[in-house]
Amino acid sequence: MDNKKKLARNKYETNDDMINLIDNLNRDDDVKYNRRAFLKTAVGASVTLGLATLPFSIKAMMNTAGEDDKRIAIAKLSEISKGQSLNFNYPTDEDPAILVHTKDGKFVAYNNKCTHLQCPVFYEKEQDVLLCPCHKGYFDVKSGHPLAGPPQRELPRIELEIVDDTIYAVGRKVRHG
Amino acid sequence: MDKKTCWIVIFLSLAVNVVMLQWTVEAYFGLEYERVYLFTSIACLSVLAALAAFFRWRNLEYKEKK
Ligand code: FES
Repeated sequence: MDNKKKLARNKYETNDDMINLIDNLNRDDDVKYNRRAFLKTAVGASVTLGLATLPFSIKAMMNTAGEDDKRIAIAKLSEISKGQSLNFNYPTDEDPAILVHTKDGKFVAYNNKCTHLQCPVFYEKEQDVLLCPCHKGYFDVKSGHPLAGPPQRELPRIELEIVDDTIYAVGRKVRHG
Repeated sequence: MDKKTCWIVIFLSLAVNVVMLQWTVEAYFGLEYERVYLFTSIACLSVLAALAAFFRWRNLEYKEKK
């Protein structure tokens, strides 16, 4: 039937409810509605992702209070000879760390939770590297940066200070160089 | 702002927010809190832009029919 001959309420795009029920059978409208839904989904996704960053900021604010660089005595110089390593905890008891006296006589310390899946990392004397046995992750003992294997990020470095013959941990850098 | 601009703004904001979420998580686990705040604010701004563009688009889109 021609649109003009229909009763007013039966015409295309009338506001009558019963007619509007079949409104979306029209193909043109179908295409339009899909495009609308697509855009709305995109807005929803963008808002969700954007707001998902908020909890991290809130947690960060709650954390800043406790993050004070404290000073802890780790060991005496005489306790650890060249090529040896020693485990300790820094900055809290839940953060395992390793102090290494490297072959060329330097002291370095890192948190030794592997940055891949948190296995403990060991000092490998022969090759002079830090090794994570879980998936063969290698870290440079001089910088803490990953050399090979799955880890992508460096180990947090613990800053050391040697006073008299005692080694102190004085701070921590999670991201460095 | 015409409808096309709204579309562009919304998808730009989506792209920005994907990146911001990734960077925020990275910065959070690196304990770089200033960067966390920075990325969160950028993400929030981009959310606002997306919403503004969306409401503008909705106005235009549903006005047409009348
Ligand atoms: S946990 Fe260290 S390499 Fe996977």
